[in-house]
Amino acid sequence: MSATVIGIIGIVVLLVVFFLGMPVGFTMALVGLVGFCYMVTPQAGLALLARDVWAQFSSYSLTVIPMFVFMGSIAFNSGMSQRLYDAGYSLFGRLRGGLAMTTVAACAGFAAICGSTNASAAAMGRIALPEMRRYHYDNALATGCVAASGSLGILIPPSVIFIVYGLLTEQSIGRLFIAGVFPGIILAALFMGVIYLICRRHPDFGPAGGPTTWKQKLTGISGVIEVLVLFCFVIGGLFLGWFSPTQAGGAGAAGTLIIGLARRHLSWKGFLSAVKDTLQITCMVLVIVAGALIFGHFIAITKIPMALAAWAGGLPIPAAAVMGLIVFIYLVGGCFIDALALIMLTIPIFFPVAMAVGFDPIWFGVIIVLVTQMGVITPPVGVNVYVVSGVAKDVPLETIFRGAMPFLVAIIIAVAILIAFPQIATFLPSLTMY
Amino acid sequence: MERFEKFTTRFSNWLNWIAGIALVGMLGLTVVDIVGAKFFTWPVPGAVEVTGFLSVVAIAFAIAYTQVLHGHVRVEFFTMRASPRVQGIIGAIIWLLSFALFAVLAWQSYKFGRVLQISGEVSPTEEIPFYPFVYGIAFACIPVCLVLVVEFLKSVAMAVKR
Repeated sequence: MSATVIGIIGIVVLLVVFFLGMPVGFTMALVGLVGFCYMVTPQAGLALLARDVWAQFSSYSLTVIPMFVFMGSIAFNSGMSQRLYDAGYSLFGRLRGGLAMTTVAACAGFAAICGSTNASAAAMGRIALPEMRRYHYDNALATGCVAASGSLGILIPPSVIFIVYGLLTEQSIGRLFIAGVFPGIILAALFMGVIYLICRRHPDFGPAGGPTTWKQKLTGISGVIEVLVLFCFVIGGLFLGWFSPTQAGGAGAAGTLIIGLARRHLSWKGFLSAVKDTLQITCMVLVIVAGALIFGHFIAITKIPMALAAWAGGLPIPAAAVMGLIVFIYLVGGCFIDALALIMLTIPIFFPVAMAVGFDPIWFGVIIVLVTQMGVITPPVGVNVYVVSGVAKDVPLETIFRGAMPFLVAIIIAVAILIAFPQIATFLPSLTMY
Repeated sequence: MERFEKFTTRFSNWLNWIAGIALVGMLGLTVVDIVGAKFFTWPVPGAVEVTGFLSVVAIAFAIAYTQVLHGHVRVEFFTMRASPRVQGIIGAIIWLLSFALFAVLAWQSYKFGRVLQISGEVSPTEEIPFYPFVYGIAFACIPVCLVLVVEFLKSVAMAVKR
């Protein structure tokens, strides 16, 4: 049997075991271990397992993940999401569909201190959904907009997906972070556009909220200045090369902690809850990362990524068609497989292909994050929809998925805009020093 | 069975708190390092390697409790639709495979730790030996295996239930 055939069998077995429900990280490690043992020697495979796990768990570059996750968890447990929502309301509240627009703006703001989609959706769902219900918003619009806006968490820096992509492809995390800023703003604007159009067609879907005074507006905005300062300090520090990514995450987490304590919004219980949340998210991510490394070692010796890259590079079709195909694969894969697992599984295979056809690695990373965002709101495995469903227990899942669909169109438009104008993503990174 | 499950949960939770202390330690060390390096031109010596060691504790010691909370991402969409008996059989297989993986990891990490201990390998700046942390990974696999045994027994019970 040739190495390529063994590799393909390995991938098929991996998918079968995935779908049987074994945890993703465990599956990758197990299939990678067995494959490596078969391809090289059992001794080599067994030794690889312990060494790979040690290498990943003790890696300084990976400590950026717990630091940024900690920052988001402290922000969540110290009520920053509520202040962001209040600020958004003071600006958009009295417009038709204004509460949904407020949700988008608040999610974009929260995304600037939190790097995960489900944390953003959970944080904002608990605040925004009761408000929208109070004003009799359509259930599909209310829940769909929270699920979709939560996905901004991985596009606007910091972002766990950018970190993982950067580590897998050896790209600068600072440059990737900064590349997500403009696309994030554009996508937030597109989401607001979707809400405007829906409410123009169905005015009863999103009735206007009550008016706010200038004093309320000023109070609302002043409540989020700290988020802006923190974002500029952390991401700006990374942009200017003051901090390494781990230091930036540490500075962000410490800053969020100080703000929470100074405002007396972070209790001891809240802090412990943030520690626990961070541990569980970090552990889940790092187990997948370690599993992916072991699986990646197996796949590398089968030479599948190189063969695929050479094949795609020689195809008589334009690069845009290759990109379209990759986006399509992510769209379908994202329907069934968790976003992070999909990235871990596919990046080692698709990244060489993307380089072979001449794509910019930073731009490709932004596109990958955008298509990942689609995956978190598409049925049947749209994580954010399940998160929102946990908050709005009486709304059927189908209604939330239906509500998220118009926002899926917005993400597809954002992908198209980025394919047509890659500079939106590549302009800021070209100025960075780190 | 209930007592065994209670014990594994408590054991895992206890290790999770050790992981929590390591996490807070990582944050504290990073902050002291930043302040030292940016304001006093005196970064903490060996901050990078100590952060890496703390990260081993924070991650490895949290694996078991994360499994207790079912926090390790898995695709449940297809198995959810199967009958309880089929779900039980599939569950028994996947938890047995997972148990085998962590048992092998414990054994291999112990062996790797022995190699590092005998060769006397230490970190470059602070000369901290690597092996206690590698043994730590081997130790952290024990509660993971116990939690996976609980999952396996639950699945078997589900499969044989009339």
